[in-house]
Amino acid sequence: MNIRAFLGILVCRAVKLAAKILRRGGTAKPGELAAKVCPDLAQILAKDVRIIMVTGTNGKTTSSRIIEQGLLDSGADYFANRSGANLLSGVTTTLVENSTLFGKAKHQCAVIECDEAAFRTVAPLVQPEVILVTNLFRDQLDRYGEITHTLSNIRQGIRGVPDAVVCLNADCSLTASLAGDISNRCLFYGLGEALGGGEPPAVSDASHCIHCKAEYTYKYRTYGHLGHFVCPACGYERPGTDVTVTKLLSKDADSSTVVMEAGGLSRTVRVNLPAVYNIYNAAGSSAALMAFGMDPDRAMQCAENFQCGFGRMERFDLNGTVIRMILVKNPAGCNQVIEYLNGLNEAYLPVFLLNDNAADSRDISWIWDADYEKFAAAYQGEVVVSGIRADDMALRLKYAGIPAQKLTVERDYDALLDRVSHQDKPVFIIPTYTAMLDIRTRLAHRCGSAEFWE
Amino acid sequence: MELNICHLYPDVLNLYGDNGNLLCLQQRLSWRGIGSTVTRLPIGETADFTKFDLFFIGGGQDFEQEVLLSDLSKGKAESIKSAIADGKVFLTVCGGYQMLGRSYTTWDGVTCDFIGAIDYETKGAKDRMIGNFAFQCGPESGGSAVVGFENHSGKTYLGPGVQPLGTVLSGSGNNGEDGTEGVRYLNVFGTYSHGPVLPKNPDFADAILKTALDRKSPGFALDPLDDALEHQAHDYMLKRLGL
Repeated sequence: MNIRAFLGILVCRAVKLAAKILRRGGTAKPGELAAKVCPDLAQILAKDVRIIMVTGTNGKTTSSRIIEQGLLDSGADYFANRSGANLLSGVTTTLVENSTLFGKAKHQCAVIECDEAAFRTVAPLVQPEVILVTNLFRDQLDRYGEITHTLSNIRQGIRGVPDAVVCLNADCSLTASLAGDISNRCLFYGLGEALGGGEPPAVSDASHCIHCKAEYTYKYRTYGHLGHFVCPACGYERPGTDVTVTKLLSKDADSSTVVMEAGGLSRTVRVNLPAVYNIYNAAGSSAALMAFGMDPDRAMQCAENFQCGFGRMERFDLNGTVIRMILVKNPAGCNQVIEYLNGLNEAYLPVFLLNDNAADSRDISWIWDADYEKFAAAYQGEVVVSGIRADDMALRLKYAGIPAQKLTVERDYDALLDRVSHQDKPVFIIPTYTAMLDIRTRLAHRCGSAEFWE
Repeated sequence: MELNICHLYPDVLNLYGDNGNLLCLQQRLSWRGIGSTVTRLPIGETADFTKFDLFFIGGGQDFEQEVLLSDLSKGKAESIKSAIADGKVFLTVCGGYQMLGRSYTTWDGVTCDFIGAIDYETKGAKDRMIGNFAFQCGPESGGSAVVGFENHSGKTYLGPGVQPLGTVLSGSGNNGEDGTEGVRYLNVFGTYSHGPVLPKNPDFADAILKTALDRKSPGFALDPLDDALEHQAHDYMLKRLGL
């Protein structure tokens, strides 16, 4: 190890210690300053670590946590970054935290979630052994630009890691197209049938062929633009899959039970998280673990013992009221949550929180691309809205068909929590990212629950 | 009474929630007991433009622009031009707004011809003009301050004598230089404002509806609606912009 790297580690640790003394959080600053001292610090520290890296629009955090669970169950020695630390700076901080002062790795493996824009830089630096790309949806156009731009970022990142095994969502025409542009070994995963989905979305994020721009036809659709796509003009089509969910046996508010196939083996898997998008997360995580060397039977079970947390279907019990928090970030994710809510067979109170900080998307117009009409058509009761852009959220729901008198704008989070803690029915809080961080802290404090994972 | 709305290129021009504008127009009609139909006209499909009262064109990704230009050249550009000349009402946003102008020149100098229905041109800049913004509309467009979100790298310059939709109160508008925002030509309302622009700006939305209804039934009066939530969202943003 060179002296610059040593200094970089020192700086990172010192800044972290200072932040701790000053009782200030933040995982980015230490890594950012360390990288100034030693620009290739992440590269040096990651050299002896076997890394699984997860990127894509939706499902990064959940997939990372499911993969962690798989590693934990198999007794692997690993570490992982937190979702808030998924840029180069945060990844660097995480690497420093998990190495000795002299840059020696403390663990053999790591699960690193990586922001899709940062992936281009981060992946070639830390040279992951396995890369999982979950999907590509329109997300924060103000930050990422057009979806094809994000795709190109990911492509460039993978090209910098030619030896990595790349796991791709076969049902996403954008993600699957990466296989044709890279020399890496690819593993595909997907759903072998619609599994209850099937309707075309109001707005598709990829309606036209990525190669020749003809409109896709579908043998079946799962959700959003995902499904068995076929381009009638150039023949580009959903590739065959190595990990396949062939059947949905049952689903409820907490889980789905499916049949999954991989490596010539078929088994029943209980995905310990509800909704179709988490079936994808389970299949993608299984593929990543297989690519990492785990046997297929074991890899497919990774989502069985999974505990949801940190805003992703996370459950809280507050004075007897069950509160579930479901993070939404973009139309595709939001539509899936609406689908899930509409499938509930019980009365509930929905609470929508809309913020417009940088991490949420400063442009909140995406709420108009999400299908709240479906929610309004199925839901009769009261709706509570909050967050920095509570008024815009209320307006969206009004135009979706929720009568104005059933909409309550409650700006104050403590008043909001007072209100939801006295319910005789379950409460679903549906926040954007920074709103989630904020209300979750208050809620966890009231529930006296420990911080699980971020 | 019923308004026939045509949604041009819903398959490719569907970014940034702009379809919310259609939803807004339809709801504001329906709350007043006025019917409406929306005909989707994607790439490759044609229709008799004379049967529509109002046209909506949203913004899109550069990726799909080629497909769009080739479809326009197959007759739609002419249909759009004559509909505008006939005084049909158009609401066009961002890419849809640029498309009605003469041309678009990328920052590295490549020019492609657009419809040329109105005299203005757009030049690509390297930096995007992005963020919440506001502009003041004239009385023929509702007369209110409109709030929205702009996100464009194209700078639009209006030809001599072409009226803007409004004057910028905060943000960039057409080009960040001359204080104009959008275009107001015959019954065309062109703007860079996403948001979508109409729900939070009920006066602007009603000005568009009134223009369309007036053509069908001169002097048609719109019943007032309870716009308390709309004004709340509107005023919040004005205040945040320091206006």
